[in-house]
Amino acid sequence: MDFSFTKHEEEFRQELRTWLEEHLPKDWVMSNQKYVKDPVFLRNWQKELYEGGWGAIAWPEKYGGRNATLMEEIIYEQEMVRAKAPSPINYVGIHMVGPTLMDIGTEEQKEQYLQKMLTGEEVWCQGYSEPNAGSDLAAIQTSAVKDGDRWIINGQKVWTSYGHVADRCFLLARTNHFEKKHKGITVFLLDMKQAGVETQPIIQMNGEHDFNEVFLKDAIAYDADIVGEVDEGWRVTMALLAHERTGIGAQVFTLEQQFQDLVTLAKEREDHGQPLIKNPFIRKNMIDLYARSRGSLLNYYRNLTKTLKNGYPGPEGSMDKLIVSEITKDLFAQSISMQGHQGILSEDVDGEHSYWSNNYLYSFGQTIGGGTSEIQRNTIGERILGLPKDLRR
Amino acid sequence: MDFALNQEQELFRGYVRKYLESKGLTKIARDYMVDQGESFPAIHTGLAELGCSSINISECYGGMELGALDLVPVLEEIGRALLPGLFLETNTLVVPLLEQFGTEEQKASYLPDIAEGKSTFTFAWLEHDYNYQPSGIKLKAHQEKNSIIIDGVKTLVPEAQIADYFVVVARTGKEEKDISLVIVDRSQSNMTIRPQKTIDEARCLSEVTFNHLEVPPTQILGPINGGWTILQEGLLSFNAALSTIMVGSTDKIVEMAVEYANIREQFGQPIGRFQAVKHKIVDMKVDLETARSLAYYANWALENKTDDRVQAITIARIFATDAFIRAASNNIQIHGGIGFTEEVDCHLYLKRARFYENYLGSTQQYYEQAATALGW
Repeated sequence: MDFSFTKHEEEFRQELRTWLEEHLPKDWVMSNQKYVKDPVFLRNWQKELYEGGWGAIAWPEKYGGRNATLMEEIIYEQEMVRAKAPSPINYVGIHMVGPTLMDIGTEEQKEQYLQKMLTGEEVWCQGYSEPNAGSDLAAIQTSAVKDGDRWIINGQKVWTSYGHVADRCFLLARTNHFEKKHKGITVFLLDMKQAGVETQPIIQMNGEHDFNEVFLKDAIAYDADIVGEVDEGWRVTMALLAHERTGIGAQVFTLEQQFQDLVTLAKEREDHGQPLIKNPFIRKNMIDLYARSRGSLLNYYRNLTKTLKNGYPGPEGSMDKLIVSEITKDLFAQSISMQGHQGILSEDVDGEHSYWSNNYLYSFGQTIGGGTSEIQRNTIGERILGLPKDLRR
Repeated sequence: MDFALNQEQELFRGYVRKYLESKGLTKIARDYMVDQGESFPAIHTGLAELGCSSINISECYGGMELGALDLVPVLEEIGRALLPGLFLETNTLVVPLLEQFGTEEQKASYLPDIAEGKSTFTFAWLEHDYNYQPSGIKLKAHQEKNSIIIDGVKTLVPEAQIADYFVVVARTGKEEKDISLVIVDRSQSNMTIRPQKTIDEARCLSEVTFNHLEVPPTQILGPINGGWTILQEGLLSFNAALSTIMVGSTDKIVEMAVEYANIREQFGQPIGRFQAVKHKIVDMKVDLETARSLAYYANWALENKTDDRVQAITIARIFATDAFIRAASNNIQIHGGIGFTEEVDCHLYLKRARFYENYLGSTQQYYEQAATALGW
């Protein structure tokens, strides 16, 4: 067992830390994340990262990356969370679409899209979920019909993060009705800025807007926009999901930091002249929460070790996702309960939105998005424990 | 970054598992219930022959001089088998105390025998008010000429009937913390052992009365009146180990639940296909892996004497205890009617979980210790 980082890794961390100190926008730090949803600000931040060489560290150098190792990516996530840096607006492009195109895209596609993803010039979204195909992704109905060198696309997508600002979409459409429903799906790189594409915001229960519905009415894509082979999009989709190798890491480190925020709250808030953390009930709940969140971090490290040794991630990622999202939900629930009535205020005394109530409401999305906790449990049950599969078509 | 046991450690685990499985795994505990340990020395010797009892003993006393992490695979396997006996008490509480605070004479007379599997130690701590604080120690050990005289009653003493030596927590002075640890040889006659019945019949507890028992002052382990402080050190090692044993037990429970859910059919299909059952088992697995990560880290922190070791170890103990109890309870439910019978092993694990819950320290006290260690 060895929890230390190599000299090279520590140098990498220091380099990034120094860069962040110099380049993290001052008004971002001061404004208590006022620009958190501002697309212009976030595109500029993406560009700034790119110019500093931090835009897509895992990408090969020839495409503008740094050939980062998995450990360097982990350190990158740790430092970004530590500095409370703005969240990346082009997450889908950089972590998912880009690497997939490098693997199976055509030379023209690489030429046309990779550079613009990095600079923030083109923001990407993904068109997976549909009103009747959320957890059951293979049930998608959106259709693409061939018409010469064009494809006419009709249907509806939902839960499209950043769809309202995205320039292009990694879109799944049905191009054939085979017996096996994951057959006959094709992936298109769809231009979002066209007449046939209309987005409508979905306002979340915390009042914020990340997601959209996307309506496709005779939207157009071309043969050149297809990734991989026609009808073989399922394989492409799975390849894309495998590229997302550090998403959970960011959540694990965020949880660690959120727990520290909760400790600070429990030490600073008082009830009857005594800090909340001295109350035996709160103390016990806090220890239980600490044990679980500390355990989730260590679990993540243990699974990471396995990935480093095998060279590829295993189904344990489902376990990390399940644990972290469930604990996050419990953490914010605890933060509301322990503050008494004050906990339900959605604005703090200074007029800023309340970190606690806003995150509490937002946390309900975490056990749903990216695969519900129930789906994660199925994956763990079937792929890790070897329990019988659910009945499916 | 490398958070895993190494190859040698995993290899060693394989030997221990094979040996305990060849002895019938829980059959060892079931035999123990019937004969109170008469057949058990053979098992203890078998483990010693594999090298288990010498792992953390210095080379000069016949040991391998390895660390807490090297004990991890052995402890997990002991937990899987619900092994009775005093391995935990001897090797993870008394050995570290002897190694760290024992005199040369004490080390030379006890450690080689422990390493060879020839002797075991138990720990006589609690008294009738079941108080784990220094104030709970009433049993007196006072000096008279060239001996220490022990008078008093201890309760819930583990495996007194098979232990070769007792470490007795005794009051040696007037101040609250004037407590010393005294090593007592079981062959001394001024001692009465009265067995007590517990729900975990695969562990024996006894009330032990010391009636003017006389030992030489050289039998005091560590400084006189300084026993309480060194005990805290010993408990860190003990709790890291206990967490690991509980992880081993939980591991076996999850395996049992998965196996049963795969073969038991209802409504024409294995019950493991029903999400009500499947998800329950997954939650047990998630608890198990979390407990395991915490326990591995606790042992690593112990071995490397890190600043966060107190919180790491207490947190591991708290979480592993809860995970063990939850998994053992759910396992009975998953097995349905048969899970409620004496025939299958489910109940053995539940009873052991409750046995360990407050073993050598209360859960409440560990919560407080963790909070203090975290600076809360």
